[in-house]
Amino acid sequence: MTAVLRSLLPYFAFAAVYLLIAAFVTNSYYQLIMTLVLVWASFGLSWNMLSGYTGLVSFGHASFFGLGAFSTVLAQTYFGISPWIMLFVSAAIGALAGVAIGLPTFRLRGHYFALSMLAYPLAMLYVFQWLGYPEVTIPRVLDKPALYMQFSDGRIYTAIGLVILTIIVVITRFVEQTRFGMALIAIKQNELAAESAGIDTLAWKLKAIALSGAIAGAVGAFYAVVILVITPQSVFGMLVSAQALTVAMFGGPGTVWGPIIGAAFLIPIAETLHAELGNVLPGIQGVVYGIAIVLLIILAPEGIFWKVRDHLRNRQPKETAALAATAAYASSGNSTKPVQSHPKHTISDEILLDVRDITKRFGGLTAVNNVTFQVPRGIILGIIGPNGAGKTTLFNLLNGFQIPDTGKVILNGRNMVGQKPHRLCMSGVGRTFQIMRPFKRMSVRDNVKVGAYVHAASEDEAEQIALQALRDVGLEDVADRVAGTLTTKQLRLMELARALAGRPDLLLLDETLAGLGSEEAADVVAVIRELARRGKTIVIIEHTMQAMVQLVDRFLVLDHGEIIMQGSPEEVTRDPRVIEAYLGKKWGADA
Amino acid sequence: MKLTRRMLLLGTMLSAALSMPSTEALAQNADPVQVGLIAPISGIYARPGTVMRMGAELGVEDVNAAGGIECLNGAPLELVVIDSGDSVEKAANAAQRMVADYPGLVAATGSYLSSFTLAVTEITERANLPVLTLSYSDLITGRDFKNVFQTSATSGAQAEIALPIIMNLAEEQTGKRPKTVAVITDNTAASLSSVERMKKGLLADVGLELVSEEVFTPPLSDATSLVQEIRARRPDLLFFLPTVISDSKLILEKMQEFRVKVPTISFGIAIAEPEVLNTMQAELLDGVMSAVANWGVKGQEGLIKRLNEVYGEPWMTQNAVSTYGDMWLLKAALEKSCSRDREKLAETLRTSNFGPSQYYPGGTLSFDASGRREGASLTIIQWQNGVPVTVFPEEMAVSAAKWPSE
Repeated sequence: MTAVLRSLLPYFAFAAVYLLIAAFVTNSYYQLIMTLVLVWASFGLSWNMLSGYTGLVSFGHASFFGLGAFSTVLAQTYFGISPWIMLFVSAAIGALAGVAIGLPTFRLRGHYFALSMLAYPLAMLYVFQWLGYPEVTIPRVLDKPALYMQFSDGRIYTAIGLVILTIIVVITRFVEQTRFGMALIAIKQNELAAESAGIDTLAWKLKAIALSGAIAGAVGAFYAVVILVITPQSVFGMLVSAQALTVAMFGGPGTVWGPIIGAAFLIPIAETLHAELGNVLPGIQGVVYGIAIVLLIILAPEGIFWKVRDHLRNRQPKETAALAATAAYASSGNSTKPVQSHPKHTISDEILLDVRDITKRFGGLTAVNNVTFQVPRGIILGIIGPNGAGKTTLFNLLNGFQIPDTGKVILNGRNMVGQKPHRLCMSGVGRTFQIMRPFKRMSVRDNVKVGAYVHAASEDEAEQIALQALRDVGLEDVADRVAGTLTTKQLRLMELARALAGRPDLLLLDETLAGLGSEEAADVVAVIRELARRGKTIVIIEHTMQAMVQLVDRFLVLDHGEIIMQGSPEEVTRDPRVIEAYLGKKWGADA
Repeated sequence: MKLTRRMLLLGTMLSAALSMPSTEALAQNADPVQVGLIAPISGIYARPGTVMRMGAELGVEDVNAAGGIECLNGAPLELVVIDSGDSVEKAANAAQRMVADYPGLVAATGSYLSSFTLAVTEITERANLPVLTLSYSDLITGRDFKNVFQTSATSGAQAEIALPIIMNLAEEQTGKRPKTVAVITDNTAASLSSVERMKKGLLADVGLELVSEEVFTPPLSDATSLVQEIRARRPDLLFFLPTVISDSKLILEKMQEFRVKVPTISFGIAIAEPEVLNTMQAELLDGVMSAVANWGVKGQEGLIKRLNEVYGEPWMTQNAVSTYGDMWLLKAALEKSCSRDREKLAETLRTSNFGPSQYYPGGTLSFDASGRREGASLTIIQWQNGVPVTVFPEEMAVSAAKWPSE
């Protein structure tokens, strides 16, 4: 917690300066603007909590905001409940609405998710109009107004707004630095990879939308108090959801600073334009505002914060980065070379994975047909076959991405069919991907750490496990670099480390050697062999046989979704069916 | 050394800034008295807002020509126009700006649409700024506010006054009383309070059965379903409560297209704005009646003519005449309070009676405890030969009413 607070020192400095400026503002309109900046920054942070971190763009945050605003006004109008209480009640309402909306909507992805989120506030807008609330106002309280959050001095609202924003910032930063935020960022960067790294994506997304809804609900309540008059249009309207999105995108999503920067820029500009130009040429403020946003999106598509940060990072430590890279190359080379002298590993009689008669059809295509095989503990099993043979589908069936139509996948004596990928991960199945799925904006260490949470009780333990995994694959020297800057080989090794961090019994490696030169491939092969020596069971897919012959104990050859043979490398390379599958009938007959 | 010099400079500037208000106060007596007009000058309600500005400008001109505020050394009125935009949020925001940026305002008038007036007065009430309004909604003066003065009869009162007159007229001219009525209304506050009042007894009192009620949100994009419903229900009467000109046009056009010929009584002025004629033929409008809070009446011919000459307005709607009248009411109150203090002015408006009303129909220039003008009545207008003319009250009528024939 202290680390969180320390990391927020710049924010506290900002808050202090803001409060100081606010104290000297006497014009009530500018006081209002100063409060609204905080309101929209807070609302932007609410949006950021869900969409900024998970990447699931919500066009419907007005739902939570509006529910908070309307509950607060109606609660005071009909029951005399103070907004001080409604601030918390609205947060609870927002959280509930978040879960209620999230449960059905998280079934959708991408544009479908964004568009269906749009529907909720629009539906609520009409419901509230139909209920007979075209316009509601906070009733004025003359007796002890402070008990009802009513102050004649607008600066008090700015102070309250700042307290609310600060609480939200601390929560956000706390989330950012724990496994919660890590999980969300992992989901944003790659939901499938996150799931297979043991992250229960649905549960984390629900937590995120509940928290996000709670924040939006509370902010909506405060907004109603500040603005006095609300209409369904002004709290549920398209522009409200867009406001959250705009300030967050403008400032930079996925960081505490983004929405704050966005709101601090956009709200005063919009209001000043409105006040200064609005009377001269009514409506022109919208045009100017629109142009400003378009320009910014062209110039800094990822938001001001990231643009500035990338600019600073690229400029200042370029040399050190280059040094680190060469050092990393040297050390990774060093660490893997000594292992190349074929270490022995032992294969036990115990069956770790027992696959029985699994079949998967996609419409008329049978991708995997009646496949049965066993994986003894400690083996390196190679699955080969030409493109389209069904290798990756087989992996997807084994780690839960897809559910087989028939058959059983028995791991350690338990049938795992129908389990979600993160469950399988917890039960000891780790995997890498043919197309690499790194979390590009995260550091190598954090990439691996995401995989370590499955079995880690604390942040520290996760950190330790991640470091160990990095050491195992020889990447400890590049641990602090951003994953996006790694070479293909390093990325492959990082993926391997992420899978390892989940402490799997069984490692499923999907074309780990693809795209590597022969020397690089040899390095990776050495690492895999070393893992096997330490007792990991490994199933690896490749469609080229060369590197594999040196590596595996046993081959399983797939073609058209069926196993055409199993056996030792020597047997397999000589088998005419295998040659036929790879090279065609003609070559098979000749051989 | 450098630092101290800079501080000295800063200090001088500060003291200069601080001393400014006092010098201003000395010179203030000759200064104009600021009154605000907060009304929609942009957006879909810009047209009525602009007409309000015309009325206010003529009013200020006439008050100043008559010697300004004599009690304040003949200080002239100065009009400050604030655009309330086309949404409740913008109106509230504009009100915030008005009270912040014009501390010298003594009073304001506004804001056409009841929804805007409700929002604006939430803010002006807290700033103790007296506001005159021509808006109709009962809610405006139902909140125990001390600084809102409603010059029009409220929606509820208007419906109450208008319904018996309309029923009698129908019976007089057709020989039978209408029995069924359909309502098409937008969801603005004034329209909704009229309809509310009708449903809560007024219709029953005059023996009308409500066979259909349709509510829409302005601006309307298609009126087909609304008009279909009327066609299917075949009511004896149609009560029609639009606020946006384009909505009223759209619905009337659709009625013509579908040959729905139900005698139509409107509430409000959207159906009698000059723009209606831009796309509709005058003869198609002939006979359509509307109950409005105020209109150009007999005896105001001179003013109507000036409005036409200066701004090209073919006739004088409520927005022009009420806002014009507001300037004279403010002058009267300022003379009596004899102060630039807004709270004193509000107190004067609350407690004084400035005699019979000249620019608002019926009653006197005095307000009850809730801020409603005492004895406020309304006017009923009717499209006759391409012009909406006042047909009620009879003593102010420009022409006699004719029941719209089917």
